[in-house]
Amino acid sequence: MKIKIGEKVYEVEIFDSEGEVKIIVNGKEFVFGKEKEKEISIPQISLPKRDFSKKEILAPIDGIISEIFIKEGDFVKKNQKLLFLSSMKMENEIVSDLEGKIKEVLVKKGQKVKKDEVLIKLI
Amino acid sequence: MRIIEFEKIDSTQIFAKSLKTPKTWTVILAREQTAGRGRGGNFWYSPQGGLYFSVILPKSKIEDLQTLNILAAFIVARAIKENFDLEPMIKLPNDVLINGKKVCGILTKNIIQREVKFSAMGIGLNTNIEKFPKDLEKIATSLKIELGKEVDNKKILEQIVKGLKEQLRTIRE
Repeated sequence: MKIKIGEKVYEVEIFDSEGEVKIIVNGKEFVFGKEKEKEISIPQISLPKRDFSKKEILAPIDGIISEIFIKEGDFVKKNQKLLFLSSMKMENEIVSDLEGKIKEVLVKKGQKVKKDEVLIKLI
Repeated sequence: MRIIEFEKIDSTQIFAKSLKTPKTWTVILAREQTAGRGRGGNFWYSPQGGLYFSVILPKSKIEDLQTLNILAAFIVARAIKENFDLEPMIKLPNDVLINGKKVCGILTKNIIQREVKFSAMGIGLNTNIEKFPKDLEKIATSLKIELGKEVDNKKILEQIVKGLKEQLRTIRE
């Protein structure tokens, strides 16, 4: 049988005999019994690009930093204006979705940035 | 089409951003602007007679808004070409020129908090402007100057907004 989790498809077979249940996932065997259960390893799934353990503000699009409103050491709140990123006659006001102290501002006014580049790090 | 109209305002984009609950496709229209802005904060000459408006865009992927922002110039150029005997040109990313002089500027403003929370496209189209200040004479023109007659601002506005709606639908598909 096939099971789809997110975008990934897994081949799964289930066998049940003499009090033991054997589940095979993409060729890897997991056995569950009455007396003993072996360890299960959960298959790797793809994580979103952003690592939520890191408090970072990323560039949403390629562009040029046209204005910066914060500096290292500032404490920012949610919705606070952080910087302007200009791209092809579009002005993007980047506001914070995080609260915290600015640890590092990795960009300067006039700097070109790429999509998903880290702009600001918070503590 | 929902239109919020002003005789005179600082800037339709400033007003659009100040709206607490901006409704999608609302148009903020001004007969005159005192603080109209172009790219990089440059002053946009906005005397009475011109067509100055902002359109609240639906929350979309930023890439779709970027595409619409550029295609908006084609929508404006098409509206000019379909209504008048003129040959507008596009200067990338999205300026519209007639006979080498700028007739329309377009600037989109987004507020982004990981994703787009607000988007408004500002368009300044030099429709019924009779004369420009000396420092703009060589680089700017209007439909009235090019045609020798006045044009219907509301009709052009409707065509442009209709075009933007259709184009965004196409982009999303």
